[in-house]
Amino acid sequence: MSEDPPEQEEQRGSGAGLPGSGTGQAGRAVALARLLHRECSHLLQLFVRRVSLYVNYTPDGGRIVSLSAASEEPSTEEQVLVMHSALRQCLGLIHCVILKEEEEWGELEGDYESMRKNVHQRLEYLLHTTKALMETEETILEVTPDHQCTEEVDGSAGVFALKMWTYRVLLELVHWADHAANTLYKLQSEREEKDQN
Amino acid sequence: ALLQEITCIFLCHLFIPIPQQVSLSENLKTQQVSISWVGGEATTFDLLILRTELNDTVFYETVTVAAEASGQSKFLWTSAEPLECTSLSFRVRSRSGQLTSDWSSTQILQGNDSPTDERMQAYPQDKTVPAGSNITFCCIIGEGKSFDSFHFISESINVTRLSRRTYAATVYNLKPSRSYGHNAYCKGKTEAELYGAVIFVGYPPLFTDFICETHDLTSAVCHWTEPRKTQLLGRRQTRYSINGRYGQNRKQCSFPRWEENWKLLGWNPLGEYSLTDIADVRSRVVPLPPEELSTVANARNATVTWQWKLNHYVSLPLVCQVELMSSDDKTKRTFSGVGLRSATLLDLYPYEEYSVKVRCGAQQNFWRWGNWSKTISFQTDSEIPSAPDVWMWMNGDTTGQILWKPYEPRKSHGPIVSYEVTLWSPDDITRHTQIVSPETFAMPVNLSGISINNTKVIASVVAKNPAGLSPPESLDLDSEAITKVDFREGAFPLSWQSDANSSCGYIVEWYEASCQRDCPVEWIKVGEEITNVSIKSDAFEPGVRYYFSLYSCSSEAPELLKRWEGYTRELAPSSSVQLSTEQQDSDILISWSEIPSTHRRGFLLGYNVYLNNGSQLTKLADWLIFEILATLGVTALALIIVTFVCYKKRKCMVHIVEKPEWDSSKEVLVVIPEEDEDDEGQGIRDEPVDTDEPTSLRYYNQVVDERPIRPRYPDSSASSASSMDSGRTDVTYTGIQTSGSSLVFQSDSQSSSDQPLVVPESCGGADGGYRPQMQLPPENDNASLAQSHSLPESQACRSGGYRPQNNWQLDSPDEADERRSLAPSLGSPTSIASTQFLLPDQSSDELAEEKHQSSAATWLTNLLSTTKP
Repeated sequence: MSEDPPEQEEQRGSGAGLPGSGTGQAGRAVALARLLHRECSHLLQLFVRRVSLYVNYTPDGGRIVSLSAASEEPSTEEQVLVMHSALRQCLGLIHCVILKEEEEWGELEGDYESMRKNVHQRLEYLLHTTKALMETEETILEVTPDHQCTEEVDGSAGVFALKMWTYRVLLELVHWADHAANTLYKLQSEREEKDQN
Repeated sequence: ALLQEITCIFLCHLFIPIPQQVSLSENLKTQQVSISWVGGEATTFDLLILRTELNDTVFYETVTVAAEASGQSKFLWTSAEPLECTSLSFRVRSRSGQLTSDWSSTQILQGNDSPTDERMQAYPQDKTVPAGSNITFCCIIGEGKSFDSFHFISESINVTRLSRRTYAATVYNLKPSRSYGHNAYCKGKTEAELYGAVIFVGYPPLFTDFICETHDLTSAVCHWTEPRKTQLLGRRQTRYSINGRYGQNRKQCSFPRWEENWKLLGWNPLGEYSLTDIADVRSRVVPLPPEELSTVANARNATVTWQWKLNHYVSLPLVCQVELMSSDDKTKRTFSGVGLRSATLLDLYPYEEYSVKVRCGAQQNFWRWGNWSKTISFQTDSEIPSAPDVWMWMNGDTTGQILWKPYEPRKSHGPIVSYEVTLWSPDDITRHTQIVSPETFAMPVNLSGISINNTKVIASVVAKNPAGLSPPESLDLDSEAITKVDFREGAFPLSWQSDANSSCGYIVEWYEASCQRDCPVEWIKVGEEITNVSIKSDAFEPGVRYYFSLYSCSSEAPELLKRWEGYTRELAPSSSVQLSTEQQDSDILISWSEIPSTHRRGFLLGYNVYLNNGSQLTKLADWLIFEILATLGVTALALIIVTFVCYKKRKCMVHIVEKPEWDSSKEVLVVIPEEDEDDEGQGIRDEPVDTDEPTSLRYYNQVVDERPIRPRYPDSSASSASSMDSGRTDVTYTGIQTSGSSLVFQSDSQSSSDQPLVVPESCGGADGGYRPQMQLPPENDNASLAQSHSLPESQACRSGGYRPQNNWQLDSPDEADERRSLAPSLGSPTSIASTQFLLPDQSSDELAEEKHQSSAATWLTNLLSTTKP
């Protein structure tokens, strides 16, 4: 997992460009993705603490969300589109986590549930921001969850499996939020460079 | 033996049938296997259960089972391990005593550890068990993987191998799990090989206090309490139903119709529990909280009104509680009535913040109070204040303070905006009113300007708030509040009038007047028949003023009846005044400070002002005797402007002015005619005491002391027309003491017999009046003038006046001779002098200029001839 870019960069990125301009939107998207990444990491900590999960567990089976770019060397814009697609799946996954957990534990009100709601809303907002950043007449982006939440988690029906699956989902969210922050920062940098030229 | 054995085997098999049609039916949740077979007539069977893979015996027992009507025999076996853990083999044989049949065919209950299922697994999954249970978990390692460890929560547990891939571990006495269950999991050799199960440990439902009530005599609200949490959440939490109707997972359910019988049933994975409630609807009425509370408040009462959300209450006899809360109190008042909608709260405090809330219950078949309404606040109106608590403190004959206490909470009945203090004398319709701020609680008073002819002064204090003025609280400021008492025969004789309220006698206390705090107080108690007492004490010292207070003793707090003050013997003041002058053209402004009370050592009567021209002291009272009584707190400010306007005949006009704020109409310009010079002293002497005193003296007495103080006659021997061009002015204060209203100063000894005397009402009688007294000087005392101030005992007795308690004589005969012509009190033990040089202005008139040389020449002499204190 990569480190967050320095705060100074975040300030520069989020503040660069005029409002409504491409670089300004990209800056806001970068800041939003970084915030999402921090919140996902915090949510993961809260989850592990809440369910007393074995923290050294390294899930097998690769990524839940797996996408491949259209080309071998995709442009930054193409990477952002892939990232957007991944985030849609992440939104579907966190939505599914909420459904299954509420089904299992009921509707609770704690730090974990509050942060879970934050992440869900932040992810939706990042998708809207990315859509606004990338959408053109030729490129139509969706922001709806891309996950049906109908299959059993990892083929098992037990609560332990639900915990393990939720853990995997949260790891996935941390990963893709970090990926989104880096990709969007790359996009912002390129657009700033283009603006300067 | 061998034959027998062979025979038995043959027969046994012939007559003991082998169980047939063995079948298994498992319940994975309960971990039970129902084994059934057809065993013929046999009722006793051997049952053998083995773990299939390792051929370990799990169960081998002889059981007695009666065949059912169908001919089948059944046995229910409960496995310690989940049935999924590994495959089990079941066999049955019949037994008859020591004879058994052959084993039945083996029936295998397939476990989940078969090679066809390669997954890593753990059992039991999501089981819910009661707290305190024991439970055995098993893990099935993935095909081709290796087992590493088993963990329950965070603890590693020893395991038992059940099969090639299955390991089991037992956990005992389970504690209630947190809401999210206990994790039990196995680890393989790699971090990714981890799988487990969650066990939920809790309690079956338990609830109490199941009650159904009605707010409207029609519908029902049933509620209950859950004294013990089940520790189970979500899909495992307790569900409820009342009379077969499912409610939400709350501890309360509502129903549109009342039913006589109510049954609450609750259940969760660990069991169920039920309670019933049977009641008539009229005995379960709980009114809803009153709504829309409002108040109408007056000063002492307020009416609270409210509305009912339901019309059902209009005809319902209700009993309501109104909780009234103030800053320091909370009371409940109960009211009743049909459809009650208001209550009047009496006995409230004016201008008080209150909060109020209401709850009600059914007056008939009272069940319980309904919930409280919302709380509303109101404030009662203001009302005129109660009379203030007023007291006085006279710190002098005519000066003192009117004191009043700040209102205690709730006594002011509103914010005090001011106090009005009024002083008046019954003999004078003029009222002196002063309005002071609400933060003021004392006001100095000087009765000298109010009391006429020594009548009492009444002080009245009223407080004002927005509602108006309080009733007045009045006090008599009687200048006789403290009566002087003489010291006779080694004691202070005190006497008083019998007090009807004194039921248990009197208390007389005394202490030093100068004592400020932690004063040693002495007292005696006497019976109610006693009305006089003589106070003796070895602690009495000369020159020390003592206060005596008489209290009545009753069932109530002691009441102060009378006060006295007195000296055993008066001494000369122990310090001089701070004298200063200010020359204003030809006027000289002389002022001096107050003498500290502890330095007075006697009752201060006044001040004499002398002019010392170097060769002799000339009392300014050649023309006028100043006797300035010490009005405490005022003396230091009292100014005397003495204007010397010298005439050819060296007569001077003396202009006396009191404090600047004094009513100018009372200023007196006294012109002493030249022809009066020769017989001025006699002229004054001859004046009647009461009515014919000189105008200047009358004025003086008005200014300084309203009491009928009689001036001591001026010293005629010091009547020489002193030079006024340069001199030294001395102020002495003499130890002549004034008493209360009965005090009349006697004229000098030469004319005392001719002077009318004001005879006191009694002499040493019951009034306890202080009479002049002193140690009489020797017959040959050369201080004849001082003697003139003395009063023979007989006269003192007759007059009831005060007798100065001193040895009125000069320090030495020589000195007396030297000072023979000086003021009578000057140099006496009862006086003390201060000196200030009076140097005329260079720009003074010609006469002043002419005299300047003389003044300069005598300056050093004057300096060195300061009057002996």
